[in-house]
Amino acid sequence: MTYRKTEENPWPLIFLVGLAGWFLPGGGYLVLKETRRALIIFVAVTATFATGLYIGSIGVVDPIGYKLWYMVQMMSSPLVAIIGYHTQGGGFPVYGRPNEMGQIYTSTAGLLNLLCIVNAVYMAYIRKTQDVEQ
Amino acid sequence: MLALAAIVMAEFTIPEEIGTTPRSLLLLIPLLVSIAVIYKATKVSRVSAWNFIKESALLFGSILVFMVITALALMAVARFVVG
Repeated sequence: MTYRKTEENPWPLIFLVGLAGWFLPGGGYLVLKETRRALIIFVAVTATFATGLYIGSIGVVDPIGYKLWYMVQMMSSPLVAIIGYHTQGGGFPVYGRPNEMGQIYTSTAGLLNLLCIVNAVYMAYIRKTQDVEQ
Repeated sequence: MLALAAIVMAEFTIPEEIGTTPRSLLLLIPLLVSIAVIYKATKVSRVSAWNFIKESALLFGSILVFMVITALALMAVARFVVG
């Protein structure tokens, strides 16, 4: 597939791709019509995050006790804030290895989604500003 | 249907029982699969099934081998220092 650079302002598309990628893992690629890539990323990021929640329970998302972990988990999707809202009272205590594993899984999902967002934004920028043959 | 959904959701409110044993580190393997798949999904120019699986498997194997080598080296150092 060939993409020709346009004279359009690239920033609205870049902003849309970044926002879509944050709201829904793989959403940025979906905007760029990279359906297969979007599907793989959606399934992989969501499965990783869900595995973390299954291992450590939703208590691993703790906006009060583990602020830094929470910020990284939020990279997966802003919907994580809903879980954070329910767990911030400390109603779902989790300790030890399940806590570690749960946080590692959920935070890695967040970081991987950040990588996907950055990559999708870069892809959008390249398509808008340069002649690309893929 | 609602009862099933409630049972599934309840599973996410109780942590799993995982001991602090060396076997618990095997839980990192699914994470490694996920990292390899997502990284390759961002890197391959065209996503075709066979090529993508091959590339992901290669990355997964490389990271796993490197992790095992690192673990063995650290174990050797620990044995040398502690005895």
